[in-house]
Amino acid sequence: MDLLNNLLFGFGVAFSLQNLAYCFIGVLVGTLIGVLPGIGPLATIAMLLPLTFNVEPVGALIMLAGIYYGAQYGGSTTAILVNLPGETAAVVTCIDGYQMARQGRAGPALAIAAFGSFFAGTVGTLLIALAGPPLAEVALKFGAPEYFSLMLMGLVAAAVLAQGDTIKSLSMVVMGLLFGIVGSDVNTGMHRFTFDIFELSDGIGFIVIAVGVFAVGEIVTNLGQPERREIFTAKVSNLMPTREDLKASAWPIVRGTALGSFFGVLPGTGPAIASFSSYMLEKKLAKDPSRFGKGAIEGVAGPEAANNADAQTKFIPMLTLGLPASGVMALMLGALTIQGIQPGPQVMTQRPELFWGLIASMWIGNAMLVILNLPLIGLWVKLLQVPYRLLFPAIMAFSAIGIYSVSNSSFEIYLTAGFGIAGFLWLKLGFSAAPLLLGFVLGPMMEENLRRAMLMSKGDPSVFVTRPISLAFIIATVLILVVMIAPAVRKKKDALAE
Amino acid sequence: MSRLRSITIQAAGLLIALTTSVAAQDYPNRPVRLIIPFPPGGSNDVVGRMIGTQLSEQLGKQVIVDNRAGAGGVVGTEIVSKAPPDGYTLGVISLAHAVNPWLYKLPYDPIKGFAAIGIMGTGPNVLVVHPSLPVRTTQELIALAKAKPGDLQYASAGIGSFQHLGSELFKLTAKADILHVPFKGGGPAMTDVLGGHTKIMFSSLVQTTPHIKSGKLLALGTGGSKRSTVLPDIPTISEGLPGYTAENWWGIVAPAGTPPAIIKRLHAALSAAQDTEAVTKQFSSEGASVVKMSSEEFGKYMVSEMNKWERVVKEGGIKAE
Repeated sequence: MDLLNNLLFGFGVAFSLQNLAYCFIGVLVGTLIGVLPGIGPLATIAMLLPLTFNVEPVGALIMLAGIYYGAQYGGSTTAILVNLPGETAAVVTCIDGYQMARQGRAGPALAIAAFGSFFAGTVGTLLIALAGPPLAEVALKFGAPEYFSLMLMGLVAAAVLAQGDTIKSLSMVVMGLLFGIVGSDVNTGMHRFTFDIFELSDGIGFIVIAVGVFAVGEIVTNLGQPERREIFTAKVSNLMPTREDLKASAWPIVRGTALGSFFGVLPGTGPAIASFSSYMLEKKLAKDPSRFGKGAIEGVAGPEAANNADAQTKFIPMLTLGLPASGVMALMLGALTIQGIQPGPQVMTQRPELFWGLIASMWIGNAMLVILNLPLIGLWVKLLQVPYRLLFPAIMAFSAIGIYSVSNSSFEIYLTAGFGIAGFLWLKLGFSAAPLLLGFVLGPMMEENLRRAMLMSKGDPSVFVTRPISLAFIIATVLILVVMIAPAVRKKKDALAE
Repeated sequence: MSRLRSITIQAAGLLIALTTSVAAQDYPNRPVRLIIPFPPGGSNDVVGRMIGTQLSEQLGKQVIVDNRAGAGGVVGTEIVSKAPPDGYTLGVISLAHAVNPWLYKLPYDPIKGFAAIGIMGTGPNVLVVHPSLPVRTTQELIALAKAKPGDLQYASAGIGSFQHLGSELFKLTAKADILHVPFKGGGPAMTDVLGGHTKIMFSSLVQTTPHIKSGKLLALGTGGSKRSTVLPDIPTISEGLPGYTAENWWGIVAPAGTPPAIIKRLHAALSAAQDTEAVTKQFSSEGASVVKMSSEEFGKYMVSEMNKWERVVKEGGIKAE
């Protein structure tokens, strides 16, 4: 009954006129940037973060969250209509969604994507409400050894599951670790790789790397390619999926939601991993796997549900442990800190209106998204026709403003430009930037907790296996390695990549 | 020739004196920038912004708060030291200003580089332990630490933070050996102590009071020379460990060479701002107290604080860089 009361309390908070408006702005902006390739939720939230200083915490968080899950919806629209993933997670949706559009079935594809996402969003919201409070209790039992083992598992899982060349992703993880080390060492206060530049003594800002590598690097890459866009606007006619479509999609949506929820709680696994796994699973379960890649609706329904469930459940570790499971969540933590709220397990008890209000707003936001996405498809398609020569300079200008306002320092802008160039080179050489970010975020946290654990145990490494929670994570890490490196799995993944 | 030169120099000197006194008379005639060398949200920011708003009222010109965080306050403070000494760039400094010279090679002189305006207030700290630690008073904690040298551990917000230095001063004064476990910021450190992993922390009153009231942490003593108004039942640490005081403080400075008339004007404005209800109310709700000193007293206070923490940094063997 407590749960019901809490949810009702949350809806009371979320249904205030002001918060409804923030929620709407959030999902609208989210859909917009999801539709537009090149700008992801990470860069957008980074840019908007300074604007939320003067908004009250609940409203600010509701809006930022809306941008995040809204982008997951919007990304599918571009993927289906233009074969251009607006979001990394939508890469999978391109495979069958675009084929459906070519066959004149863009309407049902978009509708199923929206329904699947809505279902996943609803389940994800419920999961946060159910699992949040108990997880927060467990969270206090996490000391340095537990955090280290948890992060080890996240990093291993991400490295193993990463798509593409394993050597390349591993080298990017290491590169991220190196960038993460820059700044004052927590244990000794020593400055590492700062070259006597005081601006570097607090380390390289996460936003600097994210905007530099993702926004700037991506734009430079796009400029190097001729504009090539084929749009099937004319063919978006009948929206509703048929009875058979719905029947075929029902279980993939349920399975996708389950997969996405699982990966969501794991730190460091992006929504792309969830949607890829769901696609693999559906293909494996299908009676006729050859239909996949030729417009199978299951290939849209499952992954879309998975990436949305993932986006939603990513909030669980952030809200209850104060632990960022992804780059966007790291920014959300930043938003909390700016508002003077200490992230961590105590948020739920000290600021219940924030916790439950946010949860309730997510469900409302998901409903808004279904409404936004179906009738407004025509509008989104128009946006795709904005010429890059107008779009790109605007994005660059907003990024620069966003970076400057974080610490009012032009040094950060130069640094971003540097990372933009690096990001461009990495893209050209086929190095994916996501593992870099992962190493950058998780690496220093792992180091910090490893050294703290050793300090507290007076140099006895057995502390990682004698504490039960830590031991469980270590065992899980080994299992992931065994299962995922098993040759059969490896082959499947490669077959899919082709 | 030499005579002509000396006349020119005198004339020039007179001219400068005239212009500065004119500048001081109609000061301020444009917005004043108040640099806070820490990010938004922390205690420096809260206190600085509050005083900044009131200074705007007193001076009749907008005081614009500019957060220039980085390197424990060094980045922002350097900007203040290098700004033109015309009273249009001011800076907030805190305890960190007296500690940084002993930790870093600074790009400015922490005393000679600045003209002291005044202190805004002091913020008390509180020594807390996790209830699982079998001590209930400061003396018991010292006794336990002496019985098991190096076995007890305390958490801090990082090397050079006031949590760190306040604890090191405690160790030096009590001659006890307690292991330092640094965290990245006060929040994670507090979470660890709440979970009972590290069991001791010397922390700001604002951050800690909710946990003391809920019984999750046990307060042994506050760091001020008098008992805190927020926690009047809790003794001071010095009641159990004579000679110990450690408080955070915040003050306002201008670049060295700022005309005395402008300093005087600013000190009067600060003093009036400190008397407003908005400030006294907010300070007491944060567990901090308004403190007043003349500009000269504040300058001397900065020097005495630097000497106090130099001893702690050197004898405690604290090193950054």
